[in-house]
Amino acid sequence: MKITLNGADAQVDSPPLTPLLHVLREELGVLSAKAGCENGGCGACTVLIDGSPRRACLTAAIAADGSEVTTVEGLGTPEALSPVQKAFVHFCAAQCGFCTPGMVIAATAYLDKGGSGSREEITEALAGHVCRCTGYLKIVDAVAAAREGDFDMSVAAESPHTQVRA
Amino acid sequence: MKAVGARLPRYDGVGHATGRTAFVDDIRAHGTLWAKALRSPHDYATITRLDTTAAENMPGVRAVITHADVPLLEYGHLSALGIPADEPLLAKDEVRYKGQPIALVAAETTEQAADAVAAIEVDFAPKTPLFDVRKAFDADVSQPHHWGTVYPHFEESMDRRQIRKGSIEKAFDDADKIISGVYRPAAIEQMPIETQVCLSVPEPDGRFTIYSCTQALYFSMGVVAAHMQIPLNRLKFVGGTVGGGFGGKVDTATETVCTLLAQRSGRPVKWRWTREEEFLCSSTRAPWHMEIIDAVTDDGWILGRKMLTLHDAGAYARFSPYGVTKHSFHHTGAYTIPNLHFDGYVVFTNRVPTTAMRGYGVTSVSFAVESHMSRVAEELGIDPFELRLKNANRIGDTSPNGIAYTDPSTVDVLHAISEATGNELAPGYAAASRQRRAGEWLPDHLLAQISDTEVH
Amino acid sequence: MAATTAVLFPCSPGEAIEAFGDGDGVRILAGGTLLVPELHLRGGAPEQVVALSGAGLDFVKEPCDGEIMARVGAMTPVDRLCTQPAPIGPAARGIGDGEIRAAATLGGNLCAPAGFGDLQAPLLALDASARSAGSDRERTESLEDFLAARDGRLLLEVSYVAPLEMGGGMHLRTTTDGRRVFDDSHYSRPAAGAFASLGRPHAHHFTVMSVSGVRTVGGEVRLAAVGVGPVGVRLRAAEALAHDPEAAGAAAAEEVNPSDDPLASGWYRRRTLPSLVRRVLSELEVGS
Repeated sequence: MKITLNGADAQVDSPPLTPLLHVLREELGVLSAKAGCENGGCGACTVLIDGSPRRACLTAAIAADGSEVTTVEGLGTPEALSPVQKAFVHFCAAQCGFCTPGMVIAATAYLDKGGSGSREEITEALAGHVCRCTGYLKIVDAVAAAREGDFDMSVAAESPHTQVRA
Repeated sequence: MKAVGARLPRYDGVGHATGRTAFVDDIRAHGTLWAKALRSPHDYATITRLDTTAAENMPGVRAVITHADVPLLEYGHLSALGIPADEPLLAKDEVRYKGQPIALVAAETTEQAADAVAAIEVDFAPKTPLFDVRKAFDADVSQPHHWGTVYPHFEESMDRRQIRKGSIEKAFDDADKIISGVYRPAAIEQMPIETQVCLSVPEPDGRFTIYSCTQALYFSMGVVAAHMQIPLNRLKFVGGTVGGGFGGKVDTATETVCTLLAQRSGRPVKWRWTREEEFLCSSTRAPWHMEIIDAVTDDGWILGRKMLTLHDAGAYARFSPYGVTKHSFHHTGAYTIPNLHFDGYVVFTNRVPTTAMRGYGVTSVSFAVESHMSRVAEELGIDPFELRLKNANRIGDTSPNGIAYTDPSTVDVLHAISEATGNELAPGYAAASRQRRAGEWLPDHLLAQISDTEVH
Repeated sequence: MAATTAVLFPCSPGEAIEAFGDGDGVRILAGGTLLVPELHLRGGAPEQVVALSGAGLDFVKEPCDGEIMARVGAMTPVDRLCTQPAPIGPAARGIGDGEIRAAATLGGNLCAPAGFGDLQAPLLALDASARSAGSDRERTESLEDFLAARDGRLLLEVSYVAPLEMGGGMHLRTTTDGRRVFDDSHYSRPAAGAFASLGRPHAHHFTVMSVSGVRTVGGEVRLAAVGVGPVGVRLRAAEALAHDPEAAGAAAAEEVNPSDDPLASGWYRRRTLPSLVRRVLSELEVGS
């Protein structure tokens, strides 16, 4: 089996029904997709397969054969962050960070599809992704603002949800 | 002090957003073995046979450990505080909860480890489990623990955390009404997205490098060293990158076992729990049973409180005595009640042991106290804000354990909630403050509890 | 693991039927949402897996002019059903989340073990037929009969009389007195569909139970529920009393035998079913 992984060709030798998540992490050493439940329930393993977000833990290796697989490593680097990654950093949308790669993938797919950026739509687009730390507000803020692109990355965003009393 | 008050981006934000942050499961060590556990299928049973010979000879198996391989089998979570230990690292003669680890296998692949676990020969004689803390004091109840149904090692060998303050008898004699309620919040799984995981790497110098998701690194280090009976300087803990914990990762669930397997096999060993194990076998927030009986006056003063708490510790004590102690200190919530009679029991059952979760011991009692305050307000026909403001902690008031409040925020919080919910407070209540009690805010029954200490 | 498993990739429905044979020792890989984690977490290696992704079973055929039947292939992903008229659309939208719906298939859902199968009730209410293959080769039967004996069968497609809003149809005939009227088949078309479910506050929750309903042009009312037994069931006693929603709800509670599972107790399901039946009937504008 062969996949295109973050733009480069990769040979896959795992048995054909191995979950793609296991192939990525244990065979190919791509570690951003996380094994949170391995049962489709948490969203932490979400990757793009031919541009659409999919659970890597539910995808058989053979089902990804010949596909383009993109993980969050393929979206941007620390030196050249993608717009969604920039927004996640600026809005402090990542706390423990374990769900973040899946969130960034789903948010990227949603915006690439031309999502309007309304809170309702973003909530629906991220519905399969569990975050136990943040309460989601800052994540939704980040996705809503991601298309603006440029933020002052030396400071964190002012949160519209925090009321500071004088 | 440039950082104070500044909106700084998180130092780890870029790593998180680009997938570069290395969590424990992302650490790679050459030749890593995978661990799997044989866990109890019973809630409560005697282990009548345990034979790992066949498992040891399975393909790919590099180490198998049972209770016999642990140098110090029982080391309590509060042993460092002098509290006796009760929980074996691996079950010895009996299992006390479903999912309790009995033996661990380290093998070349997870499949080989799982196959070897299935090949361990083990027999059980099931016993009657106890699940309901309310039955703990019944005469003929099944004893879930060798200490009985309740933890017996509070100070002076008391079987409960007890608080006595003022005169509860006088409070109840003087009361216009007695108002009682029972509150029973359920267990909650902390559910971090990263399940329990550890990688222990044996180093050439005889030390172990332990990549841990613990929330309490130095504490976990002490626990591993104690079980293994080795000095602390043979352990190097690498932690701090935790994929969510919420209290569920203070129990040192994986580090000791991984390190024992690494010692035995001479290879790095990783143990990552499945989500199913996390749900079924990891410690949860406790279910609590709380009974509150308040002595109140018709105009809304709470003169006294009797409270009974049954904390479901599960099968072993772990941090439960600490949790119940914290609980007891907070059993009046954000309010001042001068006469108290509190008994809190750590009750053993055959559930998974319970542990910390976000406000250990206090969230339960806050739920009970606030529910009860609303009940008192309703039964007295008093505005719930006014009842709360009247009894709210003020500077100089003292907590159940006699600590003087120096800066209690109850009044301010109530004002903020009142405003946010569009509630109209009567002028006297709107003018209340956190300052020391005086005048109408200082009825005779609150005089004795006031601390004279000047606070600034 | 599946190292010793043979994986076959049929390229047409005929090859899929051939590969499946009598189904002995064969597992189907459709969207993978159930099979992949099962094999990974539970181990076990089926002798043979038939992967249907290229078998030509991914289609939704709405009726053309003159036709009234809709056909949906077993490999159609759930997200393609989300825009269908009620009761299918809302039932599909209530399954999993976007990523799950993009992978999970109609066939996988209809053949899934108890606890899944949210699309069973809407299709039962539509009185759908199921075409399947297995030891006695191909057969087409009511979905109800298929669900009762689905083990060892390879589901190929379901078909049902399409709701009016899906278009097609419009057969007219001339009566003896010269009037132009709809062909009888027109009266079998669903004019209204409704769906009501219990307990899905968030994408990570399963639907505890749901009721689907259809009212045809001719006035026939069909009701079905999922979550009240191992597979979806028609609520025939309730249908007979559809004009009286209170009585229909009570009858529904009498004719099902729900058991306890981690989502809800059988008692709770039975207690709640009548209100779902009433909501569906009200949405269908049946009764007073």
